[in-house]
Amino acid sequence: MKFGLFYEISIPRPWTPEKERTVYNNCLEQVKLADELGFDHVWAVEHHFLEEYSHCSAPELFLTACAVLTKRIQVGHGIVVCVPEFNHPIKIAERTATLDLLSGGRLHVGTGRSATWTELGGFGANPDTTKKSWDEFVRCLPKMWMQETFSYQGEFWSMPERTILPKPYQKPHPPMWVAVTSPGTEIDAADRGLGSLGLSFAGFEEQEKKIKEYRRRIQSCEPVGAFVNEQVATTNFLFCHEDEKTGVEMGKKLGNTFNYLATQLISTREVYSSPSYQSLGLLPALRRAATGPDANEQQTEGMAYGDPARIIRAVKKWESLGVDCINFILNANEVVPQDQVMASLRLFAKEVMPHFAKKPGHVAAAAGE
Amino acid sequence: MPLYGSLDITQSPARLPTLANLDTEAWTLPKAEMIQLLIEVPRTTTESLLPKAMHPALPSYVALAVTKYPESPVGPFNLAVLRLGSRAGAHPRGFLLGAVASSPAAAEALRTRWGFPVEAGEVKFLRRHDRIIGTAKKDGKTILDCALVDPQPVAGNDVQYINWVTAANAPLDGQTQPMLIQVDPKYTFYKAERGKPQVSAFDAAAWHAPNVTLADPIIGTCCTVDTDLPRIRFVMDPLKPVFQGTRRIRESRADE
Repeated sequence: MKFGLFYEISIPRPWTPEKERTVYNNCLEQVKLADELGFDHVWAVEHHFLEEYSHCSAPELFLTACAVLTKRIQVGHGIVVCVPEFNHPIKIAERTATLDLLSGGRLHVGTGRSATWTELGGFGANPDTTKKSWDEFVRCLPKMWMQETFSYQGEFWSMPERTILPKPYQKPHPPMWVAVTSPGTEIDAADRGLGSLGLSFAGFEEQEKKIKEYRRRIQSCEPVGAFVNEQVATTNFLFCHEDEKTGVEMGKKLGNTFNYLATQLISTREVYSSPSYQSLGLLPALRRAATGPDANEQQTEGMAYGDPARIIRAVKKWESLGVDCINFILNANEVVPQDQVMASLRLFAKEVMPHFAKKPGHVAAAAGE
Repeated sequence: MPLYGSLDITQSPARLPTLANLDTEAWTLPKAEMIQLLIEVPRTTTESLLPKAMHPALPSYVALAVTKYPESPVGPFNLAVLRLGSRAGAHPRGFLLGAVASSPAAAEALRTRWGFPVEAGEVKFLRRHDRIIGTAKKDGKTILDCALVDPQPVAGNDVQYINWVTAANAPLDGQTQPMLIQVDPKYTFYKAERGKPQVSAFDAAAWHAPNVTLADPIIGTCCTVDTDLPRIRFVMDPLKPVFQGTRRIRESRADE
């Protein structure tokens, strides 16, 4: 089992330059510590216009800072929106290669197509075609990274022959993933040999079904890249505390706040009738869970908050279902004070990670801080 | 946390519809045809239109809908409504800003049974070969002239209708008081089309939304559905956040 951090970079109103900077600095401090503690990944989303929920519109810059500040942790661009109005594919290939160089080959590239009208409408993108443009982009990217020269004639973009520079540090290219929120996207991931970057908080039963289908389908995939990245990552909240009750209470507060902010997003399906967005993605589950920011109802099973023993049980369950990596959301709207986030990371690394370490003792030194 | 509306409906209860009770019987409304046009509007023009209990949708948008109900307990009628995209707690809702019904009986029933801010007027739903047109007139003046242009078939499950919220006075705990009422029709789709929204006349003041200017069209749909106006299940305190101020009036329907 691998562990990662997952950043939406949620910033509460009222927004001031100092508050925005503080939250970004808090995140960087957490990443630096996570690197020392032996966490495997730091992922940062690409979102635009999502007030309070995510101010992470330039993840490549945040991840560059992460890479410069750290030595081992792998940096995940998760996800790059593969819709031409958001990102030109040449720019994606160039900036991911640059980030891979700057990080010394620690880049993972997550791909996706955006789920909200707020974003798609903001960029003037056509929701009907995002799946198709995503498919076109993910097939081009490996070639753009690997081939000395590249030319392309496609439905969503074209280019004459040029040399796309720089090339990534990793050979043949960085691992590729796709964000999985809507039902069926795990199949898209498997068919293309992409890692499944789960962004929903579904319960055990639903995740198990998805993972089984992913594992089955990927055996006969036609990979879009030079290799198959068979990995299943899921997202969770993390708050680890010596006292179970304190840990659960703060964890619920974190989860409720995140979920409530997420339910304010305008999903594409809510306003734009399109066969390309038949699902509301992660929102129905969140709306069931998020009765309010101070709700006291039991949240989705398998949440990684509480004391170490409780979290170990949850992680073991996810492991038994076939999850390879859990990426943790540490905060939402800064409801968890920074010192408590840091303490939670340290405690998790000291008490939980050794139960899942690939190499005994790998974590112990840093966790003793 | 998310923004809230700034409208205090308790300051002007006389302007709200009044319900005799919350025991409204459901209406079955078969084979309704409805155009719905979704259009983004400037946020500053809607802040004062949304009750304090609710969150605005971001970006701000309105739904203009014109529906032809061929059968109802008060006979056939057409209805034009303006709803403001919003959130009741975690849930997407359309807050009903204004409505016009084509028959006085329908207007009276909708006003006194579900709290629609509705007046009687002239409402037309017209199909042309290249568009479906909806118009509304009050006191002889056109307040809406809109169309779904170039409709193309889509599947019914491509379309999502969100539930409504009305503001009305109603008796609760022995006192008639302003409250928010959830109206949550069900839909069984027979036909669905999608096209470009076009609005050639929109009198914002007549819809109780005086500052609203229609900005960026999102999408338009026209559907033939079996629908209903259900019994009232939830009411909300207009001043408390919905997640704190919601009261269940009766259990959900058997099919929910």
